[in-house]
Amino acid sequence: MSKPARTRNTLLNRLMNPKFIMVYATIVVFLLIYTIGALLYGDKGFTTLRTFLNLFIDNAYVGISAVGMTMVIITGGIDLSVGAVASLTGMFIAYGNTILGIDPFICIAFSILIGVALGLAMGAMIQYLKVPAFIATLTGMFFARGVCALISRESIAINHAAFNELAKWRIKIPDVKPLAYVNFNVLLFIVMILIGAYMLQATRFGRNVYAIGGNEQSASLMGLPVNRTKVLVYGFNGLCSVLAGVAYALYVKSGWNLSLQGAELDVISSAVIGGTLLTGGVGYMFGTLFGVLLKSVIPALITFNGTLLSWWAKIGTGVLLLLFIGIQRIVVSASARKKL
Amino acid sequence: MMRKRMKLDTERITKSKLFWAIVAELLILLVCLIIRPDFFSISYQPSSGMLYGSLIDILNRSSEITIIAMGMMLVIATAGTDLSVGSLVAVSGALALRLMRWDLDLYPTPGDWSITPLYLVIAASLGACLLMGSFNGLLVSRWNMQPIIATLILMVAGRGIAQVITGGKQMTTMFSPFKFIAHGSFLYLPMPVIITAAVILVIYLSTRRTAFGLFIESVGVNRSASRVSGLNARRIIMTVYMISGFLAGISGLIYSSRIISNDSNNAGQGYEMDAILAVVIGGGNMAGGKFNIAGTVMGSLIIRTIITFVYYFGVAAEAIMVFKAMIIAVVIILQSEPIRRMLEKRSRMRRSIQGGALHE
Repeated sequence: MSKPARTRNTLLNRLMNPKFIMVYATIVVFLLIYTIGALLYGDKGFTTLRTFLNLFIDNAYVGISAVGMTMVIITGGIDLSVGAVASLTGMFIAYGNTILGIDPFICIAFSILIGVALGLAMGAMIQYLKVPAFIATLTGMFFARGVCALISRESIAINHAAFNELAKWRIKIPDVKPLAYVNFNVLLFIVMILIGAYMLQATRFGRNVYAIGGNEQSASLMGLPVNRTKVLVYGFNGLCSVLAGVAYALYVKSGWNLSLQGAELDVISSAVIGGTLLTGGVGYMFGTLFGVLLKSVIPALITFNGTLLSWWAKIGTGVLLLLFIGIQRIVVSASARKKL
Repeated sequence: MMRKRMKLDTERITKSKLFWAIVAELLILLVCLIIRPDFFSISYQPSSGMLYGSLIDILNRSSEITIIAMGMMLVIATAGTDLSVGSLVAVSGALALRLMRWDLDLYPTPGDWSITPLYLVIAASLGACLLMGSFNGLLVSRWNMQPIIATLILMVAGRGIAQVITGGKQMTTMFSPFKFIAHGSFLYLPMPVIITAAVILVIYLSTRRTAFGLFIESVGVNRSASRVSGLNARRIIMTVYMISGFLAGISGLIYSSRIISNDSNNAGQGYEMDAILAVVIGGGNMAGGKFNIAGTVMGSLIIRTIITFVYYFGVAAEAIMVFKAMIIAVVIILQSEPIRRMLEKRSRMRRSIQGGALHE
């Protein structure tokens, strides 16, 4: 009996674990759409490394925020405040630097403080007061947007030497034509994905997150620190939102109270497309990475097409969401049947 | 005996959320009245046959949210959420304007005309929204999708669909029967108020005068238990989402008639949140299982009163969001289970002390 148990532990068998199906589905659909793009618009430069890296550059802020969102969704929650908090970060940096003349990096530190505090407060509201996550974070969203508008209703440009330097900083990839590069936002995105993956897969905290998402009551009966973990997850998500706001500020070099409206939907749908189950307990950072790429390849395709208008991207995203939730339903019900 | 019953009644009244919603609304109105004594004045304008005044304006302007909140209330009572309503408002307006103007290149100037008769315009817009509502219902009831994510699909795609319908153009119209929907009057009141009243009445009659409301609440409390006891839970959930879509369509027609134009990007922006907020203020529970029509109407009125207050008194318009956030925070914290249990325990303790005194 012990022998088959050991053979099951080979790398291939471990990779074939059904719990990764959703991630594979995301990767396959991404490759499929990318191949279609390559076949249709290969001559226009769709296959170049530059186009591929642009997917990262243009969507790094969504991805950074999706790291925290993935963790929140794995615990079975949701956070609607991410876009507003990111926008607030942009306002803090822009107003603090341009109007008040504070160093932008001090503004960023201050934003991190506020973002994490707001996240922890929402987490506490959800966990201790039993307010539904949807409503608690909706309050957080209104609050952050309101503060944004109170600070200023105009778009403020950021003009600071070191900040501009950071925004311009890039690593060129040698020997590629046309010129391809990676900037600070992309590095931040990748680092956040790695940190998130490490936290989820290799730490006790990550185990607790999965356990709570699987069944909160069981987790608490097992003696896991449910309250603390959940509140910390929302705090971590606050940090991710602020970093996403920093990335966005570097990307557009300004702050505006209405920027990133509806970004929370992009972030949530990226995580869902990446295979994170909204019922909690299932999700991987690697899947989220591909979810972000998959969601961003559609606008890229539409840009390359040139005749289709941009709103088809919205419809495309809706169809993708439908497709992936459909796949999730089938996978979940199939595995439930297997268990029976 | 008599005294005891009276006491119980006052306790029940102060415990009901409707009572607190009314108190909140009256408090805000009182502040308005103190700052500006003519706030309550209502005047009659013979030329339009309509009453004018801040209070009428609050009723008039709250109608879009109130109508949507009626549908949202039923959806929330089944333990669901409908995020797509804001986008459906945009779709309804886009379709209406498309049918009236048809093609801006062919008929470039807006005027008092329409390509399609009004009843067809209304039927098509409402029909499309009903269809989209049943799409939501299908995903939630048949495929057992989580309502938030199922309705997120149309929330994202809906504005795209609206833009496809109009080709991304913003059209305006002067078609007077269509303008009448939002600018007309009936019985001295603006049309939207009349339409809202009719919607509330229909919802009241069909849920509280039949068993349908009870069915909805029972599905919200425990879906499988109500299925086992013979309710067709799927059909009930389906119906609720269809109602929500249909009402979003009505709201969209009022909105687009108000601005006599369509606006795929901004029409209905954030309505889903306001409607959910109205339901929650009015005593609905996001976990499902109950709904309160009068409370929801009060919730919507409170939201509109805050906005009117902010505009009317020149408080920075930016403060609306912060105001809203504070009000929801207070309401949901008071409604939250641990706080309620704490309050209940206190009142139970008081009651048991009284009971003990009676036994002696």
